[in-house]
Amino acid sequence: MDQGQPREPNPAAAPAPGEPDRGLVAEPAQPATPGMPGAVPTGSSCPSCGQPVDPAAWYCEACGGPLLPTAAPAAPATPSGDVSAQTRRLGSRASQVIACPACGGTVGADGYCQTCGAKAPSLRDHFAVAPGPWVGGVCDRGIQHHRNEDAMALWAEGTRAVLVVCDGVSTSIDSDVAAMAAAGRACDVLTARSSSVVAGEQGEDAAMAQALVEAVAEANRAVIATTAADSTNAASATFAAAVVVGDRVHFANLGDSRVYFLGETAHQLLSLDDSMAQAFIAEGMPREEAEALPRAHAITKWLGRDSVDTVPRTGVLQVTEPGWLVVCTDGLWNYASTPDELAAQLPTGTDPLAVAQHLTTWANGQGGHDNVTVALARVPAPAAPGSPGTLGAAPTEEDKEQPQHG
Amino acid sequence: MAEFTSAVYQNEFLPDGGTDVSAIVTIRCTGAGSAGRTGSGDAGEIVVVDTSGSMGVANMNAAKQAAMIALDNILDGTYFAVVAGNHKAYLAYPMVQTGAGMVRMDARTRAEARRAISFFRAEGGTAMGTWLNLCKALFASIGNIAQKHVILLTDGENHNETATQLDQAIANCAGDFQVDARGVGVDWKVAEIRKIAQAMLGTVDIIGDPGQMSAVFAELMRQSMARGVANADLRVWIPQGAQVLFIRQVSPTVEDLTHRGTPVNQLTMSYPTGAWADEERDYHVAVRLAAKSVGQEQLAARVQLAVGPDLLTQGLVKAKWSADTNLTAQINPEVAHYTGQAELAQVIQEGLAAKAVGDEATATTKLGRAVQLATESGNTEATSKLRKVVDIADARTGTVRLKKAVEKADEMALDTASTKTTRIRG
Repeated sequence: MDQGQPREPNPAAAPAPGEPDRGLVAEPAQPATPGMPGAVPTGSSCPSCGQPVDPAAWYCEACGGPLLPTAAPAAPATPSGDVSAQTRRLGSRASQVIACPACGGTVGADGYCQTCGAKAPSLRDHFAVAPGPWVGGVCDRGIQHHRNEDAMALWAEGTRAVLVVCDGVSTSIDSDVAAMAAAGRACDVLTARSSSVVAGEQGEDAAMAQALVEAVAEANRAVIATTAADSTNAASATFAAAVVVGDRVHFANLGDSRVYFLGETAHQLLSLDDSMAQAFIAEGMPREEAEALPRAHAITKWLGRDSVDTVPRTGVLQVTEPGWLVVCTDGLWNYASTPDELAAQLPTGTDPLAVAQHLTTWANGQGGHDNVTVALARVPAPAAPGSPGTLGAAPTEEDKEQPQHG
Repeated sequence: MAEFTSAVYQNEFLPDGGTDVSAIVTIRCTGAGSAGRTGSGDAGEIVVVDTSGSMGVANMNAAKQAAMIALDNILDGTYFAVVAGNHKAYLAYPMVQTGAGMVRMDARTRAEARRAISFFRAEGGTAMGTWLNLCKALFASIGNIAQKHVILLTDGENHNETATQLDQAIANCAGDFQVDARGVGVDWKVAEIRKIAQAMLGTVDIIGDPGQMSAVFAELMRQSMARGVANADLRVWIPQGAQVLFIRQVSPTVEDLTHRGTPVNQLTMSYPTGAWADEERDYHVAVRLAAKSVGQEQLAARVQLAVGPDLLTQGLVKAKWSADTNLTAQINPEVAHYTGQAELAQVIQEGLAAKAVGDEATATTKLGRAVQLATESGNTEATSKLRKVVDIADARTGTVRLKKAVEKADEMALDTASTKTTRIRG
């Protein structure tokens, strides 16, 4: 699924800004590789074309270029507290002189450094999002690919969080746009639904499983909306999402993007790939052997106009020990497929952005053969000072509930 | 107002460790207008006619006729002068000793100039360096001419000057005005006249039949009058630490520009391209970069067209390092085509030079390769001109024999046309 294909322009429909707050964009974390700094928030104009943009938009209405929202939509569904300490809005980027990350020269209007010629990194190639101190992620182009077709959308508030990751299938046209639209739309749906569910009530699991199925259906519609009517190679993408409600994790996947829980003692792969490799594993082939097959990466379910089955596999995890909830694309797990292998790469520390950046850098160091996306939540969700889940992170105003794990 | 656009043809993918980037940059000019009439300054034309003794009665009469027809095609209001050249250069019109050496074209000056031309007689030797130097002085006497063009006709070798004297005159004039040079008959040296034309951003060709002279001059003057953009420069930016391997114009003719640049700043060189009409020119830019790691992308060159301080178009030449050999192994068709056309020009010139000194083995090999390249690239003009110099046994393998008897004019025509290229796009 990593072969290049001729591409044609696609008049991508920009998704409408979602209603709920998806969280603000973090300051850049450590660069994944030289020349790839962290995301810079878009501000009030498009970094691609300079046209004014809605600060809550994920796409420029004028040129279709990707944006990182710097503000919540005008009327958030749930009242929002203060943004976390590490997030802030920046001013307009278009009016600023952009320095080349490779040599310090000035980046020209053509997007290349005027001194060393290095391509200025685009927002789409590398961005980091941290909607709260316990939730964050990095989406990176990797080394080998010329475009980032992975996408990620995160939200967090109080004890709840939504993590959505999509991997655009690179043999399809405009999958980079489609994946971004899918992740954004699914995150909107899950944010609204997880905000309204009452934690611990009997119907929570069923309601969230239903929400995940609906989110996938909405994501599928978003992908189709970005696909040109006459496209001969319809955009397609994988889907993996996790919703944290206190100490419970609701998850779903379609394709081969994954959800792991890496607890301090137990490491689990929660999702089950819809892939050829997984089909062979199910028939008894050892994982290592199956994932080395030439067609191992061929996926059997996906989002897109030519998809026949977009019902995800869903599940629930009751968190019983502190650890990392990981939602990632194969650009990461290719280098550490089993939960133990992946856990072995975790650095110490509980800053999700730093850990996500570390894992991204590590994947790039392994060759970066594919786009890399790592979305993390430190679970159980922080509830009050002293809670194991918070591990020193500053609680927000809403976090008045008693910790459910001690 | 003239508009320039550009397009880049290249394979931007480099293998791991690859350093050399090649691209064809096409620059198109539209809406050029007419010389001297676009508000960017006056145009000046000088017609230089060889009046040496070797011209004889027939060539001299044809040349007079051609010079008059050239005047007919100069737009009214254009500054002009007529120079008669032998071992000295004479200002034939306007008939002044001092002051302004050119006048504006109108019905009266045109008639006076025609009358001056009618008195030309063939006598004396040839010293083309003095002709060029006089042209420079005449243009300078007006002072504010933006676009300067000369049509130069000769029939013989530059007997009355040393090669050094001619070179000094060329160096003195290069960059000041453009020269389209034409040789009549077969007693002039292609290499000598080509040197003048190339340095002066013009063309060289043979007029085999004196009867064609008027038509050639009329066309040259019409072309010059259609160049409404007085002076444009090709600017090439390369990254710090990179190196220009070569820069050449490859269409409509092959002209090596590599060593003709002047620095604009540390990273940018400016190469003169002269005046532009509504036309397209292709440039082959080759740059050597420091290799980056697979997955990295960078700019290898910005190729810009500038008129004065204004950048009117820019083509970006890129480099992307990839591990995918399907991408990196491809040679861009335009780059391949023009690499072949440049080699074609070279092997024709080298083959004819070898033939001239009696080295038949080298001549056969070089002209055989030329036949092969011309055939492969569909350059039918070169193929038909080669056919008059060699017998072709197998065009695809380049197997040829030198013809026993070759018309000197055919050899010279092959030589002067060697730099003309075909295009592979519409």
